[in-house]
Amino acid sequence: MAIAKVAVIGSGVMGGAIAAHAANAGAEVVLLDIVPEGGRNRSALAEGAIERMLKTDPAPFMDRRFAKRIRTGNLDDHLNQLKDVDWIIEAVVEKLEIKQALYRKIEGVRRDGSIVSSNTSTIRLVALTEGLPERLRRDFLITHFFNPPRYMRLLELVAGPSTRRDAIEAINHFCDLSLGKGVIEANDTPGFIANRIGTFWIQVALNEALDSGLPIEEADAVLSRPFGIPKTGVFALMDLVGIDLMPLVGRSLYNAVKEGDAFRAIHREAEPVRRMIEGGLIGRKGKGGFYRLAEHDGKKVKEAIDLKSLAYAKARKPRLECVSVARKGGLPALFEHPEPAGGYAWRVMSRTLAYAAALVPEIAGSIQAVDDAMRLGYNWGQGPFELIDKIGPRWFAERLKADGQTVPSLVARAAESGGFYRVEAGRRVALAPTGSYRPIERPKGVLLLADLRLAAKPLLRNRSASLWDIGDGVAALEFHTKMNALDPDILGLMRQSIELIGAKHKALVIYNEGDNFSAGVNLGLALFAINLGAWPMLEDLVKQGQQTFAALRDAPFPVVGAPSGLALGGGCEVLLHCDAVQAHAESYIGLVETGVGLIPGWGGCRAMLARGLGKKGFGGAMPAISKVFETIGLAKVSRSAFEAMELGFLREGDGITANRDRLLSDAKARALALVPGYKPPPAPTFKLPGKTARVALAIAVKGMSITGKVTAHDQVVAKELAFVLSGGDTDTVDQTTDDSLAKLERAAFMRLLREPKTLARMEHTLDTGKPLRN
Amino acid sequence: MSEVCIAGYARSPFTFAHKGALIHTRPDDLGGIVVKALVARLGVDPTEIEDVIVGCAFPEGEQGFNVARLIGLLAGIPTSAAGATVNRFCGSSMQAIHIAAGAIRMGAGEAFVCAGIESMSRVPMGGFNPMPNPTLYETMPEVFMSMGETAEVLARKYQIRREEQEAFAVESHRKAAAASGGGKLKGEIVPIETEAGVVEVDGCIRPDTNAEKLKTLQPAFAADGTVTAGTSSPLTDGAAAVFVCSEDYAKKKGLKVLARVKSIAVAGCAPEVMGIGPVLATRKALARAGLQLTDMDLIEINEAFAVQVLACGRELGFDQTKMNLDGGAVALGHPLGATGARITGKAAQLLQREGKRYALATQCIGGGQGIATVLEAA
Repeated sequence: MAIAKVAVIGSGVMGGAIAAHAANAGAEVVLLDIVPEGGRNRSALAEGAIERMLKTDPAPFMDRRFAKRIRTGNLDDHLNQLKDVDWIIEAVVEKLEIKQALYRKIEGVRRDGSIVSSNTSTIRLVALTEGLPERLRRDFLITHFFNPPRYMRLLELVAGPSTRRDAIEAINHFCDLSLGKGVIEANDTPGFIANRIGTFWIQVALNEALDSGLPIEEADAVLSRPFGIPKTGVFALMDLVGIDLMPLVGRSLYNAVKEGDAFRAIHREAEPVRRMIEGGLIGRKGKGGFYRLAEHDGKKVKEAIDLKSLAYAKARKPRLECVSVARKGGLPALFEHPEPAGGYAWRVMSRTLAYAAALVPEIAGSIQAVDDAMRLGYNWGQGPFELIDKIGPRWFAERLKADGQTVPSLVARAAESGGFYRVEAGRRVALAPTGSYRPIERPKGVLLLADLRLAAKPLLRNRSASLWDIGDGVAALEFHTKMNALDPDILGLMRQSIELIGAKHKALVIYNEGDNFSAGVNLGLALFAINLGAWPMLEDLVKQGQQTFAALRDAPFPVVGAPSGLALGGGCEVLLHCDAVQAHAESYIGLVETGVGLIPGWGGCRAMLARGLGKKGFGGAMPAISKVFETIGLAKVSRSAFEAMELGFLREGDGITANRDRLLSDAKARALALVPGYKPPPAPTFKLPGKTARVALAIAVKGMSITGKVTAHDQVVAKELAFVLSGGDTDTVDQTTDDSLAKLERAAFMRLLREPKTLARMEHTLDTGKPLRN
Repeated sequence: MSEVCIAGYARSPFTFAHKGALIHTRPDDLGGIVVKALVARLGVDPTEIEDVIVGCAFPEGEQGFNVARLIGLLAGIPTSAAGATVNRFCGSSMQAIHIAAGAIRMGAGEAFVCAGIESMSRVPMGGFNPMPNPTLYETMPEVFMSMGETAEVLARKYQIRREEQEAFAVESHRKAAAASGGGKLKGEIVPIETEAGVVEVDGCIRPDTNAEKLKTLQPAFAADGTVTAGTSSPLTDGAAAVFVCSEDYAKKKGLKVLARVKSIAVAGCAPEVMGIGPVLATRKALARAGLQLTDMDLIEINEAFAVQVLACGRELGFDQTKMNLDGGAVALGHPLGATGARITGKAAQLLQREGKRYALATQCIGGGQGIATVLEAA
């Protein structure tokens, strides 16, 4: 059964954002809420949710226009709209009676075979469906989204004994392929997987901080980076989630777990937290939390709370030796370090990891389900079992024993046999609850370099990039520098790859599994060369990039770019030279060179111009030139692949993949589809108006300077950009070749590189990661 | 020699560009509907029309192909009538009237449709493919100055404070809202059918605007400027048309004459103070009519910007009580090519409604010009 029409009931933070994400997936959406008391507009709640979400940052919508896919209404007047909906998601308040009453109401209107799910995080399915008609129980499940639903990849799916298998499959399929979620089937146990472990972790971290008096900055520092956990650690995470929720979640889990569960032993309603909540210190949505941003003399200062006195003081950036020693000596060195933070980390993480180990198979059928849930739902770099492997299972088990803690049987088994995960015959296998190792199965359509590299060696490799054979005659070029910044080694491997593929393969995909496809050119490297005054070398690098990307475009086989995350500057220019792009929906693409006082030098100006001029519209070059001038000049970056299409970084016909894990497989399929009869596109030629276009652009820039929208150096950069986009000294009746435009692009780039204010921008951006407006 | 008369006036509702009710209506269709309605209301025999003259400031795209000819045909005027598109930017459709007036006095025709159109939604200000002359930009960049910038030049030159401009804007909206609410605009507006329904009222008027609200707006054209979106005419979609004929023709056909065209004038000025253009044109037109400004009972001056009207007022000494009785472009909107026909038609109509003798219709024009028409009640 295909899901095409989705309804969400409850337009609060979660319900609204789930509706928005269903709209992102292309579904027709109905969003209903109750009729507010005393209001004139009976659908004000759902309508207000859309308005609120259009202003929310990070944006729930991947494209503002998707808001139109949502029809809003109220439960009294518009219940009938549920009658032809495929999937109805309940996201109302966590009260059993209210939810059950709503289900009965829904039951009266929904069509046969439609699926109903709850977004509950605390109530078990067995309780939700108790006493409900069999028709509903067969179509009912729990789909637990994480906040914010667009960005958090985890979706816990819980089915009951009566739930139809095909209903589970339909939802799994839609959530995986259309919503891009990592769908984890969880058992019907309290808090399911991620929150069961997460709540335990937060509670024990809070207990230990209170008992040991460790400052919260140190607690967050030691619990985050060393374990691959986001820098919010525990306390800043609670600020984000809302401290007021802590006692509710804690109590609900306490009441739901069985007698003897380790959470019962550690659950506490801490006095300082109670006082904070009373005082409105509930986190970012309140007056402050464990941290707050205070203003001193007009400057924003981050402050941290003292858990004893509840007084704020300037937050310190802890320099912990235990964290530094972990870099060489691993996590055991951190745990054994005499600093208080070392012991603290052991007490928190050992209990949390042991708790997780003791919960399999109660909460999930496999250890990888638990690891996946913590990675996708809490943004941990590694899940609990992967962390134990990292610590060393034997060391971990022994230390637990020495501490007088119980060693869970799975940990003992892993300690005996060398870990939870192993590689056997080029495949990753995982320890099953039965005690044997089983291969990790990937769903059809999931292809990962991470799996591939266990079994094979790259076709080509240098320190910045590798070329892999991904089967069926397709090769994949992977960058692996910091932030996947482009450098001469990447360009070199790209050229080598083009030669190799021409002989042995049919197509190339450019793809990697970093957080970002590429953050652009390695600025540090460029700055180094500028400071040496190595101008010929720099010019050569620009030329190399131009030639390499042109070779990519002119290669005798199809090239498909497959970005996810940032694809900025040079990273964007790589994509602009591909035959097609298969982009992850969360692709943030842009030519941001003007931010550092430069213009795109590796063909970005030309490629964007060629695309703009190729579009049908009213005659003349100026509309295309103006649009490209604006897009590059204002360093616009798309906030999704859909926006990238509007900005012209992607073309109509390029593909968008919702699920990150499916990107490589989709890109490979797209490349193979281009193979039959492939001919490289001819190099573009241009008819550009020269000086006339520059005057038109100068008039626009002047207007922006008078209104204070551009700085003096922006104008210098804009002038160079205008020079390239206008075609230099040409005339509207003359033809300009791609090569002559490449020369202009290079010359303008080199002139800007010598500007002191450009240098200042580059240095600033490298230091702070932010643009300098000089 | 026959006198030149204005015997009819009609227009479409004026609505916001990019967001108003007429964004999906092609400007040539809009013009066609208005012209057709005007001819039908007057009951004139369309075979007697000499020429359809249409003003348009950016005659390209859907406003291209000599759109006047197409509008004539769309309006059901027979192929025997001619058609010419006129561009004098904001003065285009007043110029269309002037051309007809000249032709009538030459004995080169008796009956003319003089119209104006602009869809600022569908054809951008500046056109689709702006190609400014580089040589002129080097020697005289002010030719290409944005209209907002010229307004700021006047604000500085005449020391016109922001509050004064805002008070003017509030008054323009008040008058327009009163006229619209009081049904005074109904007679001139031709309802336009769109897919979303019939549009029959103006869309730009903000009856509830006030000084407090206007105070909150950011300067639109200079970081330290005084001119805001609230004190400028908005980008607008609209069309307007007047029927210009000889007095003999009107008598023959039993047409009710609204006004006689007493004199006309155009004048040039420095581009950076284009808003002052009406001063020179008005002086010329008054001199040609042998009249003084004090003789004028009614003044219709286009409100491109509040500050520009205030500056003209300082130079000429307008009596505010005679000016823009039904509101001006700050409130009603300013579809560039259509405005001249609207204010000339409006001046003629007001002479009848108010029972007055003389009216002045005048406009500033981008690039540094003014245009003026003096009317006398028939």
